[in-house]
Amino acid sequence: MVKLVDTKFIGKKYGPTKYEVGREKIKEFAKATGDMNPRYLDFDAAEKEGRPVIAPPMFAVVYAKDVIEQMLLDRELALNLMMLVHGEQEFEFGVTVKSGDLITTEGVIKDIFNKKGKDFVIEETVSKNQNGEMTVRGLLTFVIRGS
Amino acid sequence: MSIKDLNVGDAIEEQKNQVGKYQPIYYAGAGGDFNPIHIDPEFGNMVGLGGNILQGLCTMSFVAKAVVDNAGGDPEALKRIKVRFAKPVKPLDTVVVSGKVVEKSDTEAKIELSADTKNGEVNVISNAFAVVRL
Repeated sequence: MVKLVDTKFIGKKYGPTKYEVGREKIKEFAKATGDMNPRYLDFDAAEKEGRPVIAPPMFAVVYAKDVIEQMLLDRELALNLMMLVHGEQEFEFGVTVKSGDLITTEGVIKDIFNKKGKDFVIEETVSKNQNGEMTVRGLLTFVIRGS
Repeated sequence: MSIKDLNVGDAIEEQKNQVGKYQPIYYAGAGGDFNPIHIDPEFGNMVGLGGNILQGLCTMSFVAKAVVDNAGGDPEALKRIKVRFAKPVKPLDTVVVSGKVVEKSDTEAKIELSADTKNGEVNVISNAFAVVRL
């Protein structure tokens, strides 16, 4: 079986990218996923208590998106997007993300391997808030079917 | 019943998510994944998917929500989550998220998770778990 993606790209880095979290985007995301948790949506209560609303844990996909896109569209890596599926996803959460946070994300290709005629590309993303505290570590597995 | 009160082997409360016809489009706007397989039924047909499919990460949000809601609605309780996207979810599917406690200590619980459509006939999320802070 011919290896489709070169393992020399293991260790290749992406980012850093920056994302400023806003409460309207949090609301849009929560509603699009059918999640009406007041911790994300009750702006009045948050204002009354003088605190920002928090983002859903899965909001990580919004602020980490750009580094993932950088890898997917990396011309040197040249992934076949027509044959690519998102196989697995893992998130490990650190400090909570709140409206007003400025999140910096960096990505790195952790592994590339071939199994049963399919290529597996694993990217790790690490996101930190404006205080340098980790908000999330993501591990994405993309599977590329051989054509 | 919150995860705090559950023991190893106990099931969490099952959650049903009715996928809207246009939900992949709303999720594309909110999450940023505008891949045509998600927003264009014709394209989905052309590549053999039988129409457009929901973004896997949106299904993962359903799973995360089920865990958070079972942890008393506290999003900060979710420490870790992992899923495998086994099969596609389609608009108008009902995604049922289920899980059970497989490990528990004084500070954390590990929940094994699964999600199905078509009345349990299609397993869409497998090899999944979450770790919850107690």
